[in-house]
Amino acid sequence: MDIKIPDNVKEVIGKRGIKEADIEAVVKEAESSNKKLVKNGRNLAKKKIGDVLVYVDYDIDKGVLSKHAKVNSAYTHRIVLQHIVNADGPSGWTCAHCNEAAAFGHVQMEYMTVKRNGPAVVCAKCGDSWAEEYLATKTLAAVEGLFEKKRA
Amino acid sequence: MSEKIGETQSLCPHCLRTIPADKIAENDNVYLVKTCPEHGTFKVLIWRGVEDYRDLQRYACVFSPPEKIAVQTKGTCPEVCGLCPDHKQHTCLVVLEVTNRCNLKCPVCFASANERYKFHPTIDEIRKMYQTILDYVQHPIVVQISGGEPTIRDDLPEIVKLGKSMGIDYIEVNTNGIRLGEDLDYLRRIKDAGVSSLYFSFDGVTGDVYTKTCGKDLLEPKLRALENCRKVEMGVTLVCVVAPGINLHQVGDVIQFAKKWIPTVKGIHFQPLSYFGRYPKVPEDEDRVVLPDLLREIEKQTNGEIRFDSFIPTSCANVHCDAKSMSVLLEDGSLLPLTTRALGPPRDTKNVATKTRKEICDLWRYIEESVSTSSEEELDGTWLGFIERAKTRYLTISAMPFQDVWTVEAERLQGCCIHTVTPDGKLIPFCLFNINSLDGKTLYRHKVF
Ligand code: SF4
Ligand code: SF4
Ligand code: SF4
Ligand SMILES: [Zn+2]
Ligand SMILES: [Zn+2]
Repeated sequence: MDIKIPDNVKEVIGKRGIKEADIEAVVKEAESSNKKLVKNGRNLAKKKIGDVLVYVDYDIDKGVLSKHAKVNSAYTHRIVLQHIVNADGPSGWTCAHCNEAAAFGHVQMEYMTVKRNGPAVVCAKCGDSWAEEYLATKTLAAVEGLFEKKRA
Repeated sequence: MSEKIGETQSLCPHCLRTIPADKIAENDNVYLVKTCPEHGTFKVLIWRGVEDYRDLQRYACVFSPPEKIAVQTKGTCPEVCGLCPDHKQHTCLVVLEVTNRCNLKCPVCFASANERYKFHPTIDEIRKMYQTILDYVQHPIVVQISGGEPTIRDDLPEIVKLGKSMGIDYIEVNTNGIRLGEDLDYLRRIKDAGVSSLYFSFDGVTGDVYTKTCGKDLLEPKLRALENCRKVEMGVTLVCVVAPGINLHQVGDVIQFAKKWIPTVKGIHFQPLSYFGRYPKVPEDEDRVVLPDLLREIEKQTNGEIRFDSFIPTSCANVHCDAKSMSVLLEDGSLLPLTTRALGPPRDTKNVATKTRKEICDLWRYIEESVSTSSEEELDGTWLGFIERAKTRYLTISAMPFQDVWTVEAERLQGCCIHTVTPDGKLIPFCLFNINSLDGKTLYRHKVF
C-alpha cells in the first residue's frame, strides 16, 4: 500500500525525530493486524519501535487501482502504557480489532520506575490503550524531558 | 599489581615546582605518583575503583575554550595562569572574593580568613573585577560572591546591585549564614538587591560537627538563618565540607534534613575536604574522602534512596572533578533520582558546557514551557502532578572534590570552568588559586590579594 505524507506533516515528523520508514512500519502492521482505532475513516495506530512507541494518525483513500494511506500526523512517547485504571465516557473511537466502542479513560503509565496515571483512549475488551497526540507531545514529552535533560 | 594508567603534571607540595606525575592503578585504587628533584617522591590517593575511574571518561565533553583570554603565554601551565591559550574550558562560574575577613575563625578554612594578609576591596576595585568578568566571560554570567564572609560587609547590597547593573546575569552569595540568621532586614536587602540564591555552609545536623569544623556549636544560628531564608523565599544550597571522623557519617542525615527544607533548600553540595589554607597535618590516605567514597556513603546512608549510579559528571568540568544528581521529592517523602548512569552520557556532549551553565539560570524553564497550563486533570497521582512536583519539590545533590597541592593534576586544571577573578584582571581556576604548599606559600592567592 502506498503511503502519502504531505509536506507539512513531513516537517512536523522531522522535528519530532520520526523516520518515514517508521511510519510505514506502523501503518503496514496496523493494516494487516487490524489493531487500531477508527473514527469516520480516520485511523490511529501505534507500534513499538526500539524503545519508543510510534503513533500514526492516517486516512485510507480507496483509489481506483489501489488504496493508499494519507498521513495526518505522527508522534511518539517512551513512557510505557500499562493497565487500564478506568474507562469514563465515549471517545468516538472504535477499536477495530474488537469492533467495540473505545472510551476515554485512564491508564497507568510507567517511566524510569515512576508510575502515574494518565488519560488515554482505552478498549475495555482487549485492554489496549492509546495516548493522544496532545498528551504525548506535551505532558509525556515533558516528563521524558525531565529525565533526558538531567543527563546533561 | 601496579599499572601506569596515565600521566600528567602536578606540583611539589614543598616548593610548588611543576613536576611530572604518573597515574598508577594499584589494589583497585588510583594514585598520583610524583617526584620533585629536591623534595623526593609523593604518592597520593586520588580515586578508589579503577574501572569507575576509567569508565567516567565516556562523559567527557568536547571542550569549548574561552573566547577571550588575559594571558598569551603558552606551555607554562600552571605557572602563568590567567586564563592562557592552553586552557580548554570556558568559565561557567566566577568566584568573586569581596573580603577575607570573617565573623568566625574556623580551624579549617579555604580562605585562611583573618590571617597573614588583608583583603577588603573598595567598591571601585570590585567594579574593576566585575569589568574583568564582563570582558572575558560569555553570558549568561554567574558570579558567586565569596570571602572570607561576604555578609560582614554592610555594603553587600550595593555590591550586588552594582554587579547586576553592570550586566552580571546571576549572583549567588557564599555565606556561613550567621548574620543572616540575626538580621532578617539585611537578608531582605541582599535579596532585593538581586541575589538569586545562597551557597550556605552547613556541615552537619548536630552541634558537635560545628564544634569540630568551626570551633563552636553553630547549629542554632544555622537553623535561624534557614528560617529567615524561608521567610523571604531565598533559595539555598547547603554546602557540606565532608571529612572522615567529623561528618562523613552524617551525609545521609544532611540529605534527610534537606528534604524537610524543600523548597527553600534547592540542593546540597558536598565538598570532600581538601587541604587548602589552615589544616592541622600532612594528609594520609585515610584522611581522604575521594569522590567515589562519598557517593558510596550516600548510597549506604540513604539505604539506596540515592545511589552511587544516580550521580553523573556534569560533563562540563573534567569528569573527575564533579558528580551530580537530581531528584524529585515524591508524595511519600522519598526522593526519586532523575539522573542515572544507566541512561549513559548526554547525547550531545558537544554543547554540554553551555547547557550546564544555563541550567543554573533557567533550570526548569524547559519543563514549564512544555506543559500546557489549561488542564482539568486532577494533579494527584498524575503525570502533570509529577511535573508540578519536579518544578518545585526537587533536590540537587552535587559534589566537587577540590584539588589541593597533593592531588592537583594539570589535566583537571586545564578543563576547569570555575574561576576566581583577581584584582589584577585575571581569571584563575578556583583550585589553582587556592593551592598552597606545606608551609603556606601559594602560587596565586597571596600574590594578588
Ligand atoms: S590552568 Fe588553564 S589558564 Fe591556567 S595556566 Fe593552566 S591552562 Fe593556562
Ligand atoms: S571557613 Fe568560612 S566561616 Fe570559617 S573562617 Fe573561613 S571564611 Fe569564615
Ligand atoms: S575548581 Fe577544581 S575541582 Fe572544580 S572544576 Fe575547577 S579544577 Fe576541577
Ligand atoms: Zn479492543
Ligand atoms: Zn620540591
